Amino acid sequence: MSKPDDQPTDIKTKRPEGPIILFFLVGFAASLVLGWGIFPKLLYSQKQQPVEFSHALHNLETDGCESCHYFREDGTFAGIPKLERCMECHEEPMGESDAEAKFIEEYVYPQREVPWLVYSRQPPCVYFPHAAHVISAKMDCATCHGGIGESDHLKVYEENRITGYSRDIWGKNMIGLKKNTADRMKMDDCSECHVREHVHQGSVQTGKGGCFVCHK
Amino acid sequence: MKEAQSHSEAKRFGMVIDLDKCTGCGACMVACMSENNVPFREDESDKLLSTAWMRVFKMTNGKPFPETDICYIPRPCMHCEGHHGHSPCVSVCPATATDYDNLTGIVSQIYTRCFGCRYCMAACPYHARVFNWWDPVWPEGMERSLNPDVSVRMRGVVEKCSFCFHRYQAAMEKAHYEGEKEIEEDAYQTACTQACPAGAISFGDLNNPEHKVHQLVKPDLRHGGRPKNPEAFRLLERLGTNPKVYYLSRREWVRRAGDNYLKNEKTGGGHA
Amino acid sequence: MKIGRRCFLSFVIGGAAGTALTPLPWKLTDDLSIWSQNWPWTPVPEKGERSYSDTVCTLCRGGCGISVRKVDRRAVKIEGVKGHPVNDGGVCILGLSGLQLLYGPNRIKTPLKRKGKRGQGRWEAISWEDALAEIAEKLKGIREENKAHTVGCILGKRYGVTAALFERWMKAYGSANLMVEPSVEDSLEMALEAMHGVKASVGFDMENANYILSFGSGFIEGWGSPVRAFKANSIWKDNGVKTIQVEPRLSNTAAKADQWVPVKAGTESALAMGMAHVIIKESLYNPAFVDNYTSGFHGWKQRVLKDYTPEKIAEITGLDASVIKKLAREFAGASHPLAICGRGQGDTPVALNEAMAVHALNALVGNINQPGGVWAVPKPSYSDWPEVELDEIAETGLQRERIDGAGSAKFPMAASLLNRFAAAVAADGEALQALFISGANPVYSLQGAKVFQAALDKIPLVVSFSSYMDETAMQADLILPNHVYLERYEDVPVTAGLTAPMIGLARPVVWPLYDTRHTGDVIISLAREIGGPVAAAFSWDSFEACLEETLDDKWEVLNEQGFWTDTGFEPPAWKDAFETASGKFEFGSEAMDLSPGYSALTAEGDRGTYPLVLIPYDSMRLANGYISDPPFVVKTVEETVLLGKSVLIEINPKTAKEFGLAEGKSAKLTTPQGEARVKVHLYEGIMPGVIALPRGLGHTAKDRFMAGKGVNFNELIGPVEDASSGLDVAWGIRANLAKA
Repeated sequence: MSKPDDQPTDIKTKRPEGPIILFFLVGFAASLVLGWGIFPKLLYSQKQQPVEFSHALHNLETDGCESCHYFREDGTFAGIPKLERCMECHEEPMGESDAEAKFIEEYVYPQREVPWLVYSRQPPCVYFPHAAHVISAKMDCATCHGGIGESDHLKVYEENRITGYSRDIWGKNMIGLKKNTADRMKMDDCSECHVREHVHQGSVQTGKGGCFVCHK
Repeated sequence: MKEAQSHSEAKRFGMVIDLDKCTGCGACMVACMSENNVPFREDESDKLLSTAWMRVFKMTNGKPFPETDICYIPRPCMHCEGHHGHSPCVSVCPATATDYDNLTGIVSQIYTRCFGCRYCMAACPYHARVFNWWDPVWPEGMERSLNPDVSVRMRGVVEKCSFCFHRYQAAMEKAHYEGEKEIEEDAYQTACTQACPAGAISFGDLNNPEHKVHQLVKPDLRHGGRPKNPEAFRLLERLGTNPKVYYLSRREWVRRAGDNYLKNEKTGGGHA
Repeated sequence: MKIGRRCFLSFVIGGAAGTALTPLPWKLTDDLSIWSQNWPWTPVPEKGERSYSDTVCTLCRGGCGISVRKVDRRAVKIEGVKGHPVNDGGVCILGLSGLQLLYGPNRIKTPLKRKGKRGQGRWEAISWEDALAEIAEKLKGIREENKAHTVGCILGKRYGVTAALFERWMKAYGSANLMVEPSVEDSLEMALEAMHGVKASVGFDMENANYILSFGSGFIEGWGSPVRAFKANSIWKDNGVKTIQVEPRLSNTAAKADQWVPVKAGTESALAMGMAHVIIKESLYNPAFVDNYTSGFHGWKQRVLKDYTPEKIAEITGLDASVIKKLAREFAGASHPLAICGRGQGDTPVALNEAMAVHALNALVGNINQPGGVWAVPKPSYSDWPEVELDEIAETGLQRERIDGAGSAKFPMAASLLNRFAAAVAADGEALQALFISGANPVYSLQGAKVFQAALDKIPLVVSFSSYMDETAMQADLILPNHVYLERYEDVPVTAGLTAPMIGLARPVVWPLYDTRHTGDVIISLAREIGGPVAAAFSWDSFEACLEETLDDKWEVLNEQGFWTDTGFEPPAWKDAFETASGKFEFGSEAMDLSPGYSALTAEGDRGTYPLVLIPYDSMRLANGYISDPPFVVKTVEETVLLGKSVLIEINPKTAKEFGLAEGKSAKLTTPQGEARVKVHLYEGIMPGVIALPRGLGHTAKDRFMAGKGVNFNELIGPVEDASSGLDVAWGIRANLAKA
């Protein structure tokens, strides 16, 4: 249908058409949902620890944290105890829980080390001396490890599918904001405190800490 | 910038190697390889490709039989200080993979940051840096003897002698545990120093007048660390790299071989 | 509504804008950068508890105390034990690489039985029970034929409980044919026996001497106890002790010495005699000792004055007569002079009269059993075992003459002459029916290696106890692998020139990795299987039980500190030291027709065809015995020694020019014994007319890091028998080197 040349036409002003804005908004919203909602769920796999373990119970039954997490004579930290340590009490079942029974059957009898999923595991390039932090700097375990020492169960291990490290390293918060010191444990988090406390700030390149103090 | 710790002055860890005692046996090389997870290949005769942090070179006085004389010279990384911590390699690294530490004098190499541009290898006048052209392969079973205190490298990164700083870390860890602020001279010794069967290598704090290395060479801090002991010398002294490895020899020709002297130039001259 | 390109684009832009406001891109970038640093093909050694396990290194005669650092159960580093009397914290290049021998792929993991022909390298795994049963069966059969003497044994070490068990087993069985790999210690001990009348180890008080005269002894190449020798050298440097090195090549030892005296190859003892001449003629000798405590001096003196004038020696050695005189005067003028012999590392014996000549020099200056001198050191004592009850078969067998002629009328002082074994077996095909080889690799390391190989071909049963697939194991019918030294208990008596009796205790650092067994345990089991009086001689349940019982009152201190030594040991005074017929030090033995002197043991071959003289040289970086270089040590071999797969032969540039040879070029080396392709290295530090090859290369077995590289020197030289001792004293051979 052609319009007469001399009749004013209903010319639409040159502004973005509805569907364009709509599509923009749809794309925008969809990516926000994807980025904030779906991505975190996809990125982290939820894993269970191989054995259900209660720190709270064991705190009562032993001489405290140092019974299993102790310093050796050469100053190194024993970290997570080996099966040998558990067997000092658990050679035979001590209680009636299923978790303990499973532990004894699957690990004690076949003498297999428990493959614990370590929340605070750092990459192999990192060197962390507990003695410097716990003894010299007198830091509290919870400062970096959070409240795990009093928990009655081990929380879910959220493993980053790309890097293989725990969500505890980057932090629960997706943009890395932290409310407590224990929320994040990447290099900048360590460095924050090191700069503040003047720990070996001798680097010529950065003016901050010498690399080899924390790396190997 | 220099920041002295409140309880100690900055240290300068260095090494003194007595070339008259050095037997050229190569124990330092293997001690280093064993301690630092250095890889090995089937054919190591091309020394430009062979990975070795500590390498023993052989020099000769150039005279014909029977006046010939040879001298072995072990060469680790010199941990050059340059002027105020500007080692040649540190100055050129685009990835901040290598860094000079003012508090210990150690030039560190962190493999995770290195992307293998090899600019540092070009900058180093001592050829102390090696590049991993290939992935290291440990024959079946031999990875059991790898040292967990030292990173295992992949291909594409540069590596070099670290003055065994993992042993510094371990010594400091023990000191923290015992409530000490300082480490003793014998608490931190490099693998090569410890192994040398002739006792030719000494390691310690050059700034500390009680340490053996200081007493052996008497470094002159007002002249770029030049040794006051006339029998001591450093390689390529006049380049101004201010290296921390000193050599001792009673033989003039050996000292002369430490730098590119013209026929009429006297040994030990020049400025840093 | 028009849904077109623009909508799609705006959707994408919206998406991008939104994504930028989510953590997704930033998190992803950070995670990917971490991912790029995860190198899954690179091993990450696990951290763990650090601990140290002390033991003794057995890779050479030195006996250094080592401390093995472990992480949990893995051994990660070998270090020296500070304060240990032998090495005080130092470790040599070979000792440091020991973990590669423990964990390397060259290990034999189970007993093996040969499939196919010898040398093909085809094996099948066999159980210990089957292997022992098979061997016991054969050995019982040999006894039933009343031919017990046709069983032989070759050991790497003469001393220690394991060697003693072998000896006992052979004795109870009925064979005297126990042979040991030779070394210069054999010559030195024979000289001591001839001149002191005493059977003892020869110790050198190097640390307290102030003038060292070395006739080719490579203190810096691995002579004696290497780390101890290095430390002695450092003491000499600190104290300004003068050291003289006499040899045709500038070895590392010669470079370290204050004076290098280049003599023609093989003429070292001629110089010793020339110096003796000057010392005697100018009355520079120690009269307190010579006049009162020696016998036969006058007779010897006449011979020396007549036959060994400086002019004559100058001609033989190529030195100036004035140099000889000066050396003699300096040596005799020092307050604590010490003369030592044994070329290179001391793996090959020297002629008995050479050992006696050098010992005579020490006697002339009176340093016998004195501070800074040569000492007679008793062997460490063990508690006695009950006598072996011999049956008739054993008695018959033991009465037969040894296959190598040791201890016979011709060679009364020799305990073992492995160099004569091969020829004897080759001559009489029935001589041996079974041969056991433990801790030695004679197919590789005996001079005249090819003759030894031919002898093996005549022996129907060859059993190796090697932990590694070496050349000798390749020729075996059955392999009963021993634990590696880091996995077992072993007593380590150290005789290498030390000045006090010393026993080290090697202890397991890790549990045995594979299905191997301690050779001592295997001998006990084998004896039990053979039964009868052989079994009766072995009352112990295990090697460990035997070791503990034998070490008796030393066991406690050995477990505490890793070594036992007689700390207060002083060598006997002159009046008590000699047990010869005369009761004095004898300058020669008329009874045995022995005299310190020089006999021109010319290198095999005629000058016309072979104008050059080929000598071997030893290097700390090339292990050349039962243990060969692990990969770390091969890595340190210089490119002027090994280039790719070729070994470089050292030649003086003048000689090279005459022969038309240039640096790095290929050449064909021929000797009367064999030939090889080599490359040329011009070296001013070697006498014109002499060429040198390192020992330790040319392996055909072992791992890919070592096999196929270079040439085995022992295949280019044949044994040369010393008339008085019977030992193989070949120090070199004539050769030709032509452009290839």
